[in-house]
Amino acid sequence: MEIPMIEQLFRRLNIYLSHPDQEPEWVRYVYNDLRDQDLMARLQYFLKDEEMEDCEFNLPRLREIFFNLTREQRKSPFYHLVFPDQMDYLQEIARMSAEMRIKDGNGGSPLEQFSIHPLILMKIGNFYFSFTNPSLSMLLTLGLVLLLLFFVTKKGGGKSVPNAWQSLVELIHDFVPNPVNEQIGGLSGNVKQKFSPCISVTFTFSLFRNPQGMIPFSFTVTSHFLITLALSFSIFIGITIVGFQRHGLHFFSFSLPAGVPLPLAPFLVLLELIPHCFRALSSGIRLFANMMAGHSSVKILSGSAWTMLFMNNLFYFIGDLGPLFIVLALTGLELGVAISQAHVSTISICIYLNDATNLHQNESFHN
Amino acid sequence: MLEGAKSIGAGAATIALAGAAVGIGNVFSSLIHSVARNPSLAKQSFGYAILGFALTEAIALFALMMAFLISFVF
Repeated sequence: MEIPMIEQLFRRLNIYLSHPDQEPEWVRYVYNDLRDQDLMARLQYFLKDEEMEDCEFNLPRLREIFFNLTREQRKSPFYHLVFPDQMDYLQEIARMSAEMRIKDGNGGSPLEQFSIHPLILMKIGNFYFSFTNPSLSMLLTLGLVLLLLFFVTKKGGGKSVPNAWQSLVELIHDFVPNPVNEQIGGLSGNVKQKFSPCISVTFTFSLFRNPQGMIPFSFTVTSHFLITLALSFSIFIGITIVGFQRHGLHFFSFSLPAGVPLPLAPFLVLLELIPHCFRALSSGIRLFANMMAGHSSVKILSGSAWTMLFMNNLFYFIGDLGPLFIVLALTGLELGVAISQAHVSTISICIYLNDATNLHQNESFHN
Repeated sequence: MLEGAKSIGAGAATIALAGAAVGIGNVFSSLIHSVARNPSLAKQSFGYAILGFALTEAIALFALMMAFLISFVF
């Protein structure tokens, strides 16, 4: 599609978007205009939407078009480059589409809650460094953790008889060395002290980020593959570096346990290497899938409860209690999962680190 | 046609949950067995059981992720 056409479309949409008070009116106007200007076909081509031309004038349809437009915009970096001047309109359309979906109540897919949108648009050249909602919630959690630690450790590091807050912080602090000792202790007992801070930080990261997503209208940072994958990959790379540092080229011996008959060696090396490399993916996917699946299922069930509540039927109104209590139970389960995932990811990091530092010297269970 | 095939694929991806169900059941049945044999280790084995449960559950979520991928991404 040529740029002038897109420009024209955006201008038109923007004019109508600026009068949100006459909602049913402007929907029809936009539709008529789209049809008159032959923009429909072009938009249809752009969005790869086959049923666009012969459809009704209605709000859900227009919302769908807006949503598709927003999705296309989000999907291709190309879009930013080709239409740099239309970014404002696109932002407006995205906002409008989100608003319409919220107004509609149960609308939208369960994955809607994970959408990233910029709060402060920042741009250098063609690169976008926007301050987005994940950034905001990350900063928020970081601030909360730091505040918690600050208030507990001020005036020379707490009291000898701790109050509730200090007990909480001490609990978190004392929790980490335990699995570290258990897993990485190995034959030489000195390793644990060295890696304890790093693992502690990773644990605190997950421990505070995961449950924070359960606050209504907040954003779950760890439900994004990008973030958990970055975390797990950086940990994997770090662990590999640690392994090479401690053992040099001898590190490769982790892929072949001692005393294996030589004909078996090629298979065993492959069998050990594949899981080792897959660890980089698996710990990220585990955290992400747990968070995303939990939040989506809560959303699906609460959507069903919401729909049942407004069916104007006594039977459904009473039956509504079912999904509602399931949502309640799921919320509890989700909090448990959020905390246990922090624990599990910490332990698996310890196991991986143990494999790198101690090679096959001590027997612990493998993942 | 494609939509229908997608739905069938997403549904078929959830068959994997059968395996996860067996796994979770196995974890907790082993926990009950071992606690019945040696109640003094109850606390320690519960920790391991929760770890095993979380790992098994994560595998189940891979299936869910595949279902989501099939239905939303492709």
